[in-house]
Amino acid sequence: MIKSTADIFSDFKGTEDDLIPVLQKVQENFGYLSQKSMMDVGRFLRIPTSKVWATATFYTQFRLKPIGEKHIMLCRGTACHVKGAPRILDEIELKLGITEGETSSDGKYSLESVACIGACGLAPCILINEDVKGRLTPKLVNKLFEDKERRDQDVE
Amino acid sequence: MKIRRGGIRMSNKTCLICQGTGCVSAGSREIHASLEKEIEQLGLSKDVKVKRTGCHGFCEQGPLVVVEPEGLFYAGVKVDDVPDIARSLSPQGEPLEEKPLYHDSATGNPITHYHDISFYNKQQRTVLQNCGNIDPEEIGDYLATGGYQSLRKALFEMSPGQIVDEVKRSGLRGLGGAGFPTWIKWEACQRAPGDEKYVICNADEGDPGAFQDRSILEGDPHSVLKGMIIAGYAIGARKGYVYVRAEYPLAIKRLEIAIDQARKKGFIGKSILDSNFSFDIEIFQGAGAFVCGEETALLASIEGKRGMPRPRPPFPAQSGLWGKPTLISNVKTYANIRWIVNKGADWFAGIGTEGCKGTAIFSLTGKIANSGIVEVPMGITLREIIYGIGGGIPGGKPFKAVQTGGPSGGCLPAELLDTPVDFDSLKAAGSMMGSGGMVVVDEDTCIVDLARYFVDFATKESCGECAPCRLGTNQMLDILNDIVEGKGEMEDIDILESLGMGIKKGSLCGLGQTAPNPVLTTLKYFREEYEEHIIEKKCRAKVCKDLIHFIIMPDRCTGCHICTKVCPVNAISGDPKQIHEIDQELCIKCGLCFEKCPPKFGAIEKNYGSKVMED
Amino acid sequence: MDMLSFNINGKLLTVGKGKTILEAALENSIYIPNLCHHPDLVPSGNCRMCIVEIEGRRGQIISCTTPVEEGMVVRTDSQEISHVRQTTLELIHANHTQDCTNCSSNSACELQKVTAYVGVNEERLGRLRRTRQHYNIDDSNPFFSLDHNKCIMCGICIRTCDEVQGVNALDYGFRGFNTVVSTFGDKPIKESVCESCGECVVRCPVGALTFKETRQPTFEVKTVCAYCGVGCNIYLGVRGNKIVSSRGDRDSIVNKGRLCVKGRFGYEFVNHEDRLKVPLIKKNGTFVESTWEEAFSIIVEKFSAVESKQFAAFTSAKMTNEDNYVIQKFTRAVMGTNNIDHCARLCHAPTVSGLVQSLGSGAMTNSIDEFTNAKTIFSIGSNTTAAHPIIGLHIKEAKRKGAKIIVANPKEIDLCRFADVFMQQYPGTDVVLLMGMMKVIIDEHLQDEEFIKTRTEGYDEFLDSLTDFDLDTTEKITGVPKGKIIEAARLYATNTPSSLVYAMGITQHSHGTDNVLAVSNLALLTGSVGKESSGINPLRGQNNVQGACDMGGLPDVYPGYQKVTKPWAKEKFEEHWGVKLDPEEGLTHTEIFDEIEKGNIKALYQVGENPILSEADSNHVKRALANLDFFVVQDIFMTETAKYADIVLPAASFAEKDGTFTNTERRVQRVRKAVIPEGETKDDWWIASEIARRMGAKGFDYESPNDIMDEINRVVPIYGGITFERIEDEGLQWPCPTTNHPGTKFLHGEKFTRPNGLGKLFPLTYKASIELPDSEYPLLLTTDRSLYHYHTSTMTRKVKGLEILDGEEFLKVNPEDAQQMEISDGEYVTVRSRRGDVRVKIKITRIVPKGIASLTFHFHETPTNELTICAIDPVAKIPETKVCSIRVEKMET
Repeated sequence: MIKSTADIFSDFKGTEDDLIPVLQKVQENFGYLSQKSMMDVGRFLRIPTSKVWATATFYTQFRLKPIGEKHIMLCRGTACHVKGAPRILDEIELKLGITEGETSSDGKYSLESVACIGACGLAPCILINEDVKGRLTPKLVNKLFEDKERRDQDVE
Repeated sequence: MKIRRGGIRMSNKTCLICQGTGCVSAGSREIHASLEKEIEQLGLSKDVKVKRTGCHGFCEQGPLVVVEPEGLFYAGVKVDDVPDIARSLSPQGEPLEEKPLYHDSATGNPITHYHDISFYNKQQRTVLQNCGNIDPEEIGDYLATGGYQSLRKALFEMSPGQIVDEVKRSGLRGLGGAGFPTWIKWEACQRAPGDEKYVICNADEGDPGAFQDRSILEGDPHSVLKGMIIAGYAIGARKGYVYVRAEYPLAIKRLEIAIDQARKKGFIGKSILDSNFSFDIEIFQGAGAFVCGEETALLASIEGKRGMPRPRPPFPAQSGLWGKPTLISNVKTYANIRWIVNKGADWFAGIGTEGCKGTAIFSLTGKIANSGIVEVPMGITLREIIYGIGGGIPGGKPFKAVQTGGPSGGCLPAELLDTPVDFDSLKAAGSMMGSGGMVVVDEDTCIVDLARYFVDFATKESCGECAPCRLGTNQMLDILNDIVEGKGEMEDIDILESLGMGIKKGSLCGLGQTAPNPVLTTLKYFREEYEEHIIEKKCRAKVCKDLIHFIIMPDRCTGCHICTKVCPVNAISGDPKQIHEIDQELCIKCGLCFEKCPPKFGAIEKNYGSKVMED
Repeated sequence: MDMLSFNINGKLLTVGKGKTILEAALENSIYIPNLCHHPDLVPSGNCRMCIVEIEGRRGQIISCTTPVEEGMVVRTDSQEISHVRQTTLELIHANHTQDCTNCSSNSACELQKVTAYVGVNEERLGRLRRTRQHYNIDDSNPFFSLDHNKCIMCGICIRTCDEVQGVNALDYGFRGFNTVVSTFGDKPIKESVCESCGECVVRCPVGALTFKETRQPTFEVKTVCAYCGVGCNIYLGVRGNKIVSSRGDRDSIVNKGRLCVKGRFGYEFVNHEDRLKVPLIKKNGTFVESTWEEAFSIIVEKFSAVESKQFAAFTSAKMTNEDNYVIQKFTRAVMGTNNIDHCARLCHAPTVSGLVQSLGSGAMTNSIDEFTNAKTIFSIGSNTTAAHPIIGLHIKEAKRKGAKIIVANPKEIDLCRFADVFMQQYPGTDVVLLMGMMKVIIDEHLQDEEFIKTRTEGYDEFLDSLTDFDLDTTEKITGVPKGKIIEAARLYATNTPSSLVYAMGITQHSHGTDNVLAVSNLALLTGSVGKESSGINPLRGQNNVQGACDMGGLPDVYPGYQKVTKPWAKEKFEEHWGVKLDPEEGLTHTEIFDEIEKGNIKALYQVGENPILSEADSNHVKRALANLDFFVVQDIFMTETAKYADIVLPAASFAEKDGTFTNTERRVQRVRKAVIPEGETKDDWWIASEIARRMGAKGFDYESPNDIMDEINRVVPIYGGITFERIEDEGLQWPCPTTNHPGTKFLHGEKFTRPNGLGKLFPLTYKASIELPDSEYPLLLTTDRSLYHYHTSTMTRKVKGLEILDGEEFLKVNPEDAQQMEISDGEYVTVRSRRGDVRVKIKITRIVPKGIASLTFHFHETPTNELTICAIDPVAKIPETKVCSIRVEKMET
């Protein structure tokens, strides 16, 4: 259930060092950080909004736009890289018709990359929402997003 | 070398099911549920215990199931295998003989016991001892191994000064990367005036290709917490933070559980074990910034700011979190403390080399037969790890290079395989221990592309504060992009070297100071590959898209039309049953056709050169 | 100071302990290249230019963060240092707009300076890849531009906005190569919280932040800013006969080089085409350009014709002390009446009436600079950062040094961001709030018994009256939660030295004098007055309102607060001026309008005032002015009020004359002529003297303001030792009785200036505001100020940039009220009170609490004072412009 920012804030003591945890909670709740919610956070923590902005734009975890239902994070760790992550990225981009950092126009998919998810034994791998999908091949990618094609066809 | 297992007495059969991230994503949760069900149905619940454990380290082979006390090792377990495993656990059951036993990567033969597996039997698992043997969500398991005894010993039998002294004599060096002697920080914090001090565990394991901190937190969180509590007692702190990446949700969850359980047992909180020492631990989730592994950036991050490092001095031990003396060490460093307290500095100093004591833990990944987490005594050679434990390169391909230390480290060639693995030797070779990533690459990896990859990483992760790093990494990336695209010139190599040295010396923090290392070491050891890219416009690994082309061999093409369908840019023409042709002008070198062409035809070839050479 | 010796480049230097290597080197003329260093800011060490080598330490060490240690051996140059600097510099150049000649920072650019020193190899530079990034120039701010393509990311602007200004409009945004100096949401600067102070532009070492006015002055004149009572010292830059720049004087203890948007950019009015240039005489209802000769002859004739009691004069808080002195002298000595007043009546009359009763003097007790060392600062009824921006900076500086800030204000003003305790009291309940705090102090025995015993009187009566203000009552009446009242009381009483500031929120009430007495009760009770960094500090609104009062621009006192009703004073001035003087007090500002309306006053001489916008219930003023026989206005622009005049005289502005202003901390400072007035414009003192002479008066033969100051020195004891010569470089704070007296930093140190030397505590009761909301007029209207405007905006609205930043009035209402009234943001409404109505746009904001709305009085299109009530404080005669009731009506569509 989506809470109001006030509800979220009630779990915190409201000091400056709460900034990152509060932003994490806000994002968890709303899916992203809107300017309105960042202003609320600034007011709650008594931090200038420019500082909230500076922090929010610094960390890759924070998103300033809504994301798709399926949030795909491609691991760009070394193991994944040498085991073909760039190729996997190409394949996902082709399949979903979006490039890294974008969200599909129907709001179903967002594609981002992440430094390393620490599942190097399974390289190359991606994270879809919370689930790790490892040992990917272009073929497996195709299979993972099969429903995408089906839906597109339904639309047609 | 004999491997050590955890100290839990197992009267009955126990099934240890790995619940590390690797195995979970390979389906070990389902295995666990199904095995419990099967055992119940077979009426074996009394005799057989099923335990969820942390990472066994051999992530490559997950999901892993180990059966104790026999030490049976099942790998790549599928739900279909579960009934067989369950039946084998009955009093009259016999160990399985084929699937799902582990098959040796070299010989292909099945191996029944883990202590016969070369991946395990050449390791010295000290810090990792509990990982894979206890349920990390059950403090009782940890206590059964003698856990928290060292805390009792530290609190009641040792003075803070004695602890620092013990750490000093042990020779322990920070396992976060730089290998700074741990005791110096401890002593500085202990001597710093004031009673508001902090202990921070740096679990911001951001190196791409390293995941051993994660494994420890997921598999044995209490060992880290205990190290922190002892550190807090030694330096006079009352508060600790574990700074862990948000990308590690499982580690966070297990830490939360562990802290909660330890608090209930009186190991954390007010008046620990009824002593007059109080210490609390909080988890801080990082939000995605590699640079926060740098200690001053990490502090800024906890304070709610951008993770931008600041110049040192003052060091965190003098002025850290909120300007107070702060001890920051890596996960592995804290995990070692209990051994030093329990078994003494002399025991610890007995492991490793003259200058580097104890064990080193690596995440062994890449083009390697046995990838996973390995723990070895300091001083063992790269060759022993890669070939002895790792089982060499799969498919018998030749070894090309090993990258250690992630974006801060370097690439070492075959000639250096006999380099001992310790802080100083790796540094002398131009690389570093870093946080313990060890990525093996073979001939299919382009060294220039690999260097470009690391610089790209550094560019994206640079905090942007100081000019050398912010602009320099980007400049190097531009040059490397030109080289991999065939637009490089020979003088670019000089520029890379000169820039690299300037960036190393000019940057504010460790990220910038080490960011050029992957380029500088590859220029040192693999210069000819750069020259090939520049002069011959050739990528010998056939990785760099602009330096290769695909061609359909007329003699093998059957006109099956598979490639024309997959080509995203309609660059392949040809009527059905006619020989197809790739329009090189349109081709984007995605390689889809190459992959999709049925192996029985193998009609598409990947060749050097950006275009088909005219005869 | 402890000194350290160290060796740098083979040279032995001795410097104070705590200095960094860079500071020590620069002080001793040893250049170490640097880009991100600024003496006002905490070093950040990010530009990597100031690297040095230190014997015994590995590698290069940045000198801007490394303190000097005894015996250190430092080298500032080596081949390796050079290589590192060159690499960094080349990288910066490869990422920087290369067109120096078209850059307004050309030749003043630190990057050029560093490059010239370090040397950049053109050939090597040519080999680097040029950046692919291109940013649009942010031209949104009317006064300056931000060009990211020239930014070197030194962070000086960000640190300035944070450490100096506390505004935090700028910060870093994004990361790595994409890092930029960014506002919240990466919006244009104008849409950010930027206050356009220009401090970042001043400090930007390159051409990234540049002023839009690029003309360089040919010379600079040191003078005092013409806005607000802080009295910042500025250098006006002149080119031709035009002012093209203004910069803060870094040596001034008042502002330490800092300026607000008005001080830095608000000088355009001086050269504005609408300035009055010749005397105007109204003929057949229209103004006709005339000559001084004609104007004077009419004035002399008319003024000579009226009786003393039929004449009144308004002097001006915007003029110099010398101007004010002459105008009041003219009124008293030539016209024979004490009917002289000025707009201090509308701002700090209760301060004077209240603090004179309790302390003996109505002035600010402490100096501005003392705020920075206070431990607690209590700001009540003062929107300090908007109305007195540089004092706002002092308070923020104190906060950074660890002071606790208490804010009491019905609105959530900007200063609340820095407040440790914020009490949002209902307008008009200050006495209750303050007495409630004092009740807590007494109940918790936090009062300063020793101080009360030795330095005050009236304690017992005061204590008796305190019983009514228990916490429940206080909370109920003020709306402030008990906890906050307790917290504020404890902080103020115990975390000392405590300093209290207040402004119009305390004074502009029908019980303004009571409010002021409540303030002084609090300070006396806790011993928080008469000490360094501790006292009562009424912030004066206009640049020379303190001086206008000091100079006797008041109906009850001669210059230097010498009572007209005291025979000794009257005799003294009669002797000096050589005339017989009126023994009775004159009429106050508000009373004068009443008497005009009644027909008792027939001639009015008004200098530099605009009561049609500034006076409460201004329709009443309009009616009065229409009733005058003869009305002379002397001003720099044709104001709304001047339109009613018979004769309008063109006066010189602050930039066109010499003299002195006295700022809010009693500091008398030199004002200097920067440009020559255009047309027939004359100094105010000259005009008044000329009228006097032509009316046959003696004692007006002044040749310069210096002559006038000589006379002031003789007749005003507190100004006795303040001569032009002595204040050439830095002003002096009165009292300064003799020419060897150093001036007075804070008042009441030994004893209070009341006759018996004791401070007096006063029993008080709660008096509600006269007009409170009811069903017919359900909203409470209060008034406030904008940072971008000054008083009735006769000056600021002539500045285009200020008009762009803030060009329109808004009625600020709370979201809940807006919802209830079904009005939306930006909608035009009619605001009606029992006295008038205005049309204005709505701004929905949480700054105002539910039930309260707010307007400024800066905009003639929205004459707020047509709504306000002329309910008068019985003692101070100030109208209650802070509280009246209104209703909001939707416009017919």
